[in-house]
Amino acid sequence: MNKILEVERVSKEYPGRVAVSNISFHVNQGSIHGFLGPNGAGKSTTMKMIAGILPTSQGQIKLFGETISTDSLYHKNLIGLLPENAPLYLDMKVEKYLQFVAKLHGVKNVKGQVDQVMESLKLIEVKNRLIGNLSKGYKQRVGLAQAIVYDAPFLILDEPTNGLDPQAVVELRDFIKGLAAHKTILFSSHILSEVEQLCDQITIIHKGKVRASGDLTEIHRKFRQGLVLKIGLGIGESLPDLSNFGKYEVTHHSTLANEEQFIISFVSEIDIRSELIKFILSHGLKLMTIQAEFPELEDIFLHMTETQR
Amino acid sequence: MIWNVWKKETESYFASPLAYVLIGLFSLISGIVFFNLLVTYTDGIQTLPPEYSQQISFVEEVVLKFFANVNFLFLIFIPLITMKLFSEEKRLETLDIYWLSPMKEWQLVFAKYLSALTLVLSLLLMTCVFPLVIWGVGIKDLNLLGSSYLAVVLNACAYISLGLFCSSISGNQIIAALLSILGVMFLWMISWGGHLNSNYIVAEIFTYVGITSHFERLLRGVLGTQDIIYYLSFIFIFSVMTVKSLGRRNW
Repeated sequence: MNKILEVERVSKEYPGRVAVSNISFHVNQGSIHGFLGPNGAGKSTTMKMIAGILPTSQGQIKLFGETISTDSLYHKNLIGLLPENAPLYLDMKVEKYLQFVAKLHGVKNVKGQVDQVMESLKLIEVKNRLIGNLSKGYKQRVGLAQAIVYDAPFLILDEPTNGLDPQAVVELRDFIKGLAAHKTILFSSHILSEVEQLCDQITIIHKGKVRASGDLTEIHRKFRQGLVLKIGLGIGESLPDLSNFGKYEVTHHSTLANEEQFIISFVSEIDIRSELIKFILSHGLKLMTIQAEFPELEDIFLHMTETQR
Repeated sequence: MIWNVWKKETESYFASPLAYVLIGLFSLISGIVFFNLLVTYTDGIQTLPPEYSQQISFVEEVVLKFFANVNFLFLIFIPLITMKLFSEEKRLETLDIYWLSPMKEWQLVFAKYLSALTLVLSLLLMTCVFPLVIWGVGIKDLNLLGSSYLAVVLNACAYISLGLFCSSISGNQIIAALLSILGVMFLWMISWGGHLNSNYIVAEIFTYVGITSHFERLLRGVLGTQDIIYYLSFIFIFSVMTVKSLGRRNW
């Protein structure tokens, strides 16, 4: 898969403070890459460095293979950015504002492009209203509109759904999903379930350092803190010794209407279900149910950001 | 691109009450000033004996004093015009729009400079009725009026460049305006320092660095190369400082 963005050992220092320290990760073409981290982790700083707005203190950022900086013209028109605070002129009307941004980027068919973007984001009905008078949801949509109005192939969205009502969140999320068909998106969010729904790759950042980066499923596998199994055996049956499969602990046992239920916590990081099934059956036991519970992204995220404090 | 930003900024000025309040106040105050100067002049002529009254010059007492007063009004009006140009953008974090576009810092500074100049020229347009009065009383000196307006416009250009720089270093409009007012006052005080200093060389340096001597020479129709160089380098230096300040992206 093509890497369209490569962040290589990038640091950002302010006087007396290190905002981002030696971070590296990459974003594959055509993916929605989730960028996760608690407040103050360095997400917005990193996103602004990637957008070529903030200079890096060290390291380099490559977009489509070319190194970008605040001085380079290369990345202009290639990146669409919706920062945490959407850059909106409150005294402008929606349509005029979008036309202004489109002209800045040298869009040829300004009216056609702006109309199309307003149509897709359902902004037509408010196109002649002052941005300052719009609701938070509409403002955010106008912010997204300015990021896509010049059709940049790479989008950076910094917490785009933050502060929106549930209906608006769903609509915006669906829209972003639709955008991914022909754009690559770097997407930061606090809402982990949102990242799980939208993203196929993630980078977790904490205190200015990358804690994990890669495919979501890969990170799940890599950072799984053991495996929790729920096993149901026939009434009156007891669990055989499972120490061949690694260290384990029966954390719960209860007798239900039609089975003996055991909840077992394994330290093992690999999925041992199929071997376990064979083992139990070889002991002549009735296996009623077997269910594995893998840790959610939230668990991984909490683990990353808490244990490394 | 510059035209696009100039248009947006100028529309933004005239979409808000600020432009109209400034134009109204400027017209009112400059009208009162002109009227007072006229009344003082005519009173002087009528009350003094003919041998003294003939020595009172209309040009000195009304025309030059009027334009000197316009320059004084700029001390307040121009910082009010320039204060928001960058500080507001910094506060709203809207400068990102430009940094993602192919627009360069100097182009943005130039566009904003032109929009501020447009509003300042609109203020000056309101004073055009006074030259008609001057013309009416028989002072048909186009050179005098031309150089007076040139002096005022060049001073305005210098103040705008200073105001833009002040706006680029602060995220607070009020602080930007205050810095700008202090800056202009400092330029005046340097000139006064030149008059007060007994050391010839120091006095000459102070006089050259201060803006007043250049303004006064232009006002009297003396268009010297050194004055033009002074104004151009003043505007250039502050514009470059503004560009550098924006380039640091330290907000």
